[in-house]
Amino acid sequence: MALLEANHLTKTFNNVSVINDVSFSLEHGKCVALLGPNGSGKTTTLRMLAGFIKPTNGSIDFNEESLSKDFRNYVGYLPQFPVFHNWMTGKEFLVYAGQLAHLSKAEAKERADELLELVNLKEVRKLRISKYSGGMKQRLGIAQALIHAPKLIILDEPASALDPIGRREILNLMRELKKDATILYSTHILNDAEEVSDEILLLNEGKVIEQGSMHELESVQNTVTIKLSFSEDPKFIEDRLKEIESVFKVNQVANDYLLTVHDLQVARQQLLDVVNRENWQLTKFEVAKTSLEDLFMKAVKS
Amino acid sequence: MQWFVIFKKELLENWRNLKWIWVPIVFIIFAVMDPITTYYLPKIMDAVGGMPEGAVVDIPMPNANEAMMMSFGELSLLGVLITVVIAMGTISGEMKSGVYELILSKPVKYTHYVSAKFMSIALMVWVSTALAIIAGWYYVALLFGTIDFTKLLTGILFFSLYFALIVSIVLMVNTWFQTPGLVAFISLLLIIILNVATSIYGHILTWSPALISDYIGAYLSTGTLTDELWYSALMALVFSIVCIQFAIITLKNRALQ
Repeated sequence: MALLEANHLTKTFNNVSVINDVSFSLEHGKCVALLGPNGSGKTTTLRMLAGFIKPTNGSIDFNEESLSKDFRNYVGYLPQFPVFHNWMTGKEFLVYAGQLAHLSKAEAKERADELLELVNLKEVRKLRISKYSGGMKQRLGIAQALIHAPKLIILDEPASALDPIGRREILNLMRELKKDATILYSTHILNDAEEVSDEILLLNEGKVIEQGSMHELESVQNTVTIKLSFSEDPKFIEDRLKEIESVFKVNQVANDYLLTVHDLQVARQQLLDVVNRENWQLTKFEVAKTSLEDLFMKAVKS
Repeated sequence: MQWFVIFKKELLENWRNLKWIWVPIVFIIFAVMDPITTYYLPKIMDAVGGMPEGAVVDIPMPNANEAMMMSFGELSLLGVLITVVIAMGTISGEMKSGVYELILSKPVKYTHYVSAKFMSIALMVWVSTALAIIAGWYYVALLFGTIDFTKLLTGILFFSLYFALIVSIVLMVNTWFQTPGLVAFISLLLIIILNVATSIYGHILTWSPALISDYIGAYLSTGTLTDELWYSALMALVFSIVCIQFAIITLKNRALQ
């Protein structure tokens, strides 16, 4: 059974609708990426699920028994730009956040120590937050979202503002977290989404335009990309490639050719035949997965 | 429990940013300044060259009660100003910086959030006022004459209610804007309107909280607690509760938006 069901969510600000009839459900233990261009309503959706703003229309139902109506009790939320009480130390803030979520002081302290270990902030736990770097603050933000062991972790752009190392740390952390919680996070870094999420939800202009598991979305796409790399640009082969019947699109990027094909089996056979026959100096033959980027571009532009 | 967590955090914050040090000191300075300068005014005049020949200026020495009222008067002017300044960013500043969003993503009750903030600021202002009035009383006793200490304490209690009202007004305005400076300006405007209205329509508005310090003065000299003092104190209490309720409702509605 789904952990959460959002039914026909609509949100209007001053009569301008930001979210328009959005429905989806989140399964237990899944990591779901919320994708969409800027201004597509990702943050507003997350803020509604975090209980921070109320939808104008529609409902959010948690399928959990014996839980209170206030779903902030079982949701952990990391805003896009987390701001803390900078005069506190990292550990003090976590203990404070834990106590706000109804943990006792002893429980909050114990949990804070665990999380500081998990997000790798143990060394700086006694330092004022004002001295933290951007990456440290982001990790502290994740720790505070986890302090009350929420069922659902909502992360708004958890890695977008970080350098590659910081991003890597956050992604690894998310992989850890999805072992025992459901994660919903927004991002516009498509590689991240491909890497850690099980499902995606693509929003544009306040509407869900694609949703499903990564696998499903790939099969929906119904095409595969094959990449041919050459050591030097083999001129005049574009036309030859186009003649192959299973290839329906050819893109040249420097010495690489990206071919979009329908049937991988047939295309591979035909291509390699041509390569052998013509004796092309092929350095690499790669079957690339359909990139989320294609899907994203297609969905958003249509 | 959650209320106490927020309350203790506020106390700790005001301790770390040294408000618990400077606010009482400033209040004490305000309270003792007037009685002392009034007492030494003739000597100060002499020291800076005195009056011109032939000028006869008779400065009457106030009695102990009048001198004590100078302390109350200064606090109800400058003390109120400081109170507005220390409370102007307590919610609006947290909203502006964004920390409000992190705090409210936890199951925090708006009632707890607002009332704990109220208590932490009110407590600081009350302690400062009490210390300041007692310091003023000490100098008045040295320079002008003694005032019964129990009467003074009663006066402080009534005076505290006026400050509770000031803190509640600032908290209410805090929920309207996200700019602390604007909060201070609008709060002062409301307080000035209350005072001006009271002085224009004083004959009708005898229960106005703005008259509390006047009534305390009357009480210190006559020793009887008038009905007006009780009623204006009651009004201060009622208005405080109303303002705090307004603040809570505004924050709740903001979430519903």
